[in-house]
Amino acid sequence: MSAHAETPGHGGPPPGYGTVGHLDRVMMGLIVALASEVMLFGAFFTAFFYVRYTNYPVYPPEPFEIPVDSTGINTAILISSSFTMHWALVSIKRGNRRGLTLGLLFTLIMGLTFLGLQIREYALLHGDGFTPEHGAFASVFFALTGLHGLHVFVGAVLLATCLLRTLRGHYSPAKHMGVELSGIYWHFVDVVWVILYTLVYLLSNGARAPL
Amino acid sequence: MSVVTSPPSTHTPAYGHTGGGSVWTRPGWWRALLWTILAAALAIAVPALVRVIVGWPWWQYEVMSTCLMIATPLGFLSGIGCFDYWGKYIVGSPLPEGHADHGAYSWRDYFKVNTDHKVIGIQYLVTTFVFFLIGGMLAEAFRAQLASPSNTYFTHDAYNGLISTHASIMIFLFIIPAFAGIANFVVPLMLGAEDMAFPRLNALSFWMLPTAGLIMVASLIWGGFNTGWTGYATLSTHDPTDQGTFFNMGVQFAGTSSILTAVNFIVTILTMRAPGMTLSRMPLLVWANLTTSALVVLGTPFIAASQFMVMFDRVMHTKFFNVADGGSTIMYQHIFWFYSHPAVYIMMLPGFGIISEVISVMARKPIFGYRALAFSTVSIGVLGFSVWAHHMFVAGLQPWLRVPMMVTTMLIAVPTGIKIFSWVATLYNGVINLATPMLWAMGFLFTFVIGGLSGIWLAVLPIDIQVSDTYFVVAHIHYVLFGGSVFTIFAGLYFWFPKITGKMYNEKLGKWHFWLTFISFNATFFPQHYLGMLGMRRRVWTYDERFADWNLFISMMAFVLGAATLIFVYNAIISWWRGEPAPDNPWRALTIEWQVSSPPPIFNFDGAPRVVGGPYNYGQPGAKHVVFEEAPVTAAHH
Repeated sequence: MSAHAETPGHGGPPPGYGTVGHLDRVMMGLIVALASEVMLFGAFFTAFFYVRYTNYPVYPPEPFEIPVDSTGINTAILISSSFTMHWALVSIKRGNRRGLTLGLLFTLIMGLTFLGLQIREYALLHGDGFTPEHGAFASVFFALTGLHGLHVFVGAVLLATCLLRTLRGHYSPAKHMGVELSGIYWHFVDVVWVILYTLVYLLSNGARAPL
Repeated sequence: MSVVTSPPSTHTPAYGHTGGGSVWTRPGWWRALLWTILAAALAIAVPALVRVIVGWPWWQYEVMSTCLMIATPLGFLSGIGCFDYWGKYIVGSPLPEGHADHGAYSWRDYFKVNTDHKVIGIQYLVTTFVFFLIGGMLAEAFRAQLASPSNTYFTHDAYNGLISTHASIMIFLFIIPAFAGIANFVVPLMLGAEDMAFPRLNALSFWMLPTAGLIMVASLIWGGFNTGWTGYATLSTHDPTDQGTFFNMGVQFAGTSSILTAVNFIVTILTMRAPGMTLSRMPLLVWANLTTSALVVLGTPFIAASQFMVMFDRVMHTKFFNVADGGSTIMYQHIFWFYSHPAVYIMMLPGFGIISEVISVMARKPIFGYRALAFSTVSIGVLGFSVWAHHMFVAGLQPWLRVPMMVTTMLIAVPTGIKIFSWVATLYNGVINLATPMLWAMGFLFTFVIGGLSGIWLAVLPIDIQVSDTYFVVAHIHYVLFGGSVFTIFAGLYFWFPKITGKMYNEKLGKWHFWLTFISFNATFFPQHYLGMLGMRRRVWTYDERFADWNLFISMMAFVLGAATLIFVYNAIISWWRGEPAPDNPWRALTIEWQVSSPPPIFNFDGAPRVVGGPYNYGQPGAKHVVFEEAPVTAAHH
């Protein structure tokens, strides 16, 4: 039995082992984990709409307003960052290290800009008295946008790690799983924001409960 | 312990252990201790510093307890070595070679971060059983209180603390992870896989559990969180004993652990099956774990969210559940039960899988209706998400939701009934071997049908309204979670005990354990149906004088039930230590895990398994599920 310690593996994997179709198992793990993330956001969306529909004839209550316009700029920034992320990934697949570096750098900068602008938005809302402890309408708003902001932060850490590794000469056209995984995570965060911006900002600002 | 094989001379201990440095810098218990203390210090110092700078008083109980309970588990997990490999991987440092942290070569390896699914399975089972005993002792304590209506062993706060920690520990630290433990050991072997898809993630999942458990148990020092395992807002947000953090964070760590395990199982089951193991040749235990994992991945985020919201309300004074400020208390229950009802199936489906294995093997017959059993498992999983509000019939639920929820709840009886009939049909005309695992399986059929029937009663609105919050509900939940889940866990533990330990358990003690448990279980919980119908309320430390006789009887039976469990503990320890060596396949089963040695080799298989037939062709001479091919040894593919 102890011989196994020296000779792990029993003849190599059969073809297709560890994958489903072309899907690598690490990639698949990330996708399943993201399904879990979708449900986490789902729970906070549930809270948002529950509160908005059952307790507020007009959302948000007078005199507050959800800053649709300024956050629209932020949305554009985050959407653009998905394109630069894709550029980075395509670059390394073609062996273009400069494209990878610049793509990651731009994505990271835009991600951090998004976070900065969101902090500014929070500060402005806070100045108006739109604070998490003011009422449930604000609690659900800050919980949703804050949860998303936390994900942007995690994504930025992943991007920074990828960038660091790129600068140290890692990744090649054949091996760049780190970039690919971070990219999928980043696109996920981006898509969640588009949904969040549509539902919480565009469609909810000044919305009346259907009664 | 026979799992321990003599270490080969070239074996290097877990990574990092040879790399010099002192015990304080390499992964292990000393570094875990150090980093836990450091994390605790930081968790106090950083918020205190920030608060002083902003000009607030430096100490605030909710903030500090929350920071402590987030930071110290992370400190412990990092210290023990859960993140070392990933840390090196992310920054691109050279990675430790080979399989140094795979497999147990001495008993000490069970106390380290290990990536072998068999070691992790044993770690899970032993840990969860310890929590089972703790949870059981809490139950004995409050049954002592309830033996007479005038007992004063506990104050009502302490009593509520006991019932809340009892339920939370049994659910989050015994039933759910015990199934994960059995599946960890058995499922990769059943699939013909060398290990789980993500062995290090698997290790992290395990080590989160004892931390979650310690958080919950630690609350007992201050009397225990006492909001019930449901932690309804606003009871939890305005709890005067203020121990919500223990429940909030305990649930978060246990929940994260089970989500990570579920991701691992899904990927393992979908990608790591041996050649020939088509979906329709998978043993039903694998089907059950696949469905359960989907429920965990999709459901658990909801309880996480509900506990985050409670935490925000407690710590940051948000208004999620504050009705005066636009919040809603019913919302808590919706979000909580959207997980916690599927959680009932998370706690039952793996047990169904175990019963399918045991009954088919022990009746020497092909399982009746393999496809029906597999599809009913999946359909229970899907339907399970559409019934949550039946827990809220008397809570002020939106009236239009009541009847749909009643109907979907009753619908779940259909796939469940398919299972029961399939098992009974498998027994019909079988050559039944009444060994201990089979006794537990038969006992399960009996008690689970009772629990299932009272479940249908509870689905019906008028009955539910009548018996809500009475001992009828207590009886029902124990018939499905003890008579259901715990019976199947015992069936599985006895069934795979020879495989896991390499020793046979003592059959005579096993039978004593079963019969004592079966009789005292029914004597404890069956009368509670009756008491509930008469109006005895649950979660109260005393009761009306007219219920006194029955309650004395129930308490005495509960003590017998507890004593019966000690027989198992004794049997397991004594058999593992000096039991008869087990043959490789004592039950003459066909599934892959029985075709390897007991305990299995460190890397599971000597040859490459190839699946050539269904897993349940019992009673058919020459039927084979798997053959092993002697493959040429090439380089390891890891």
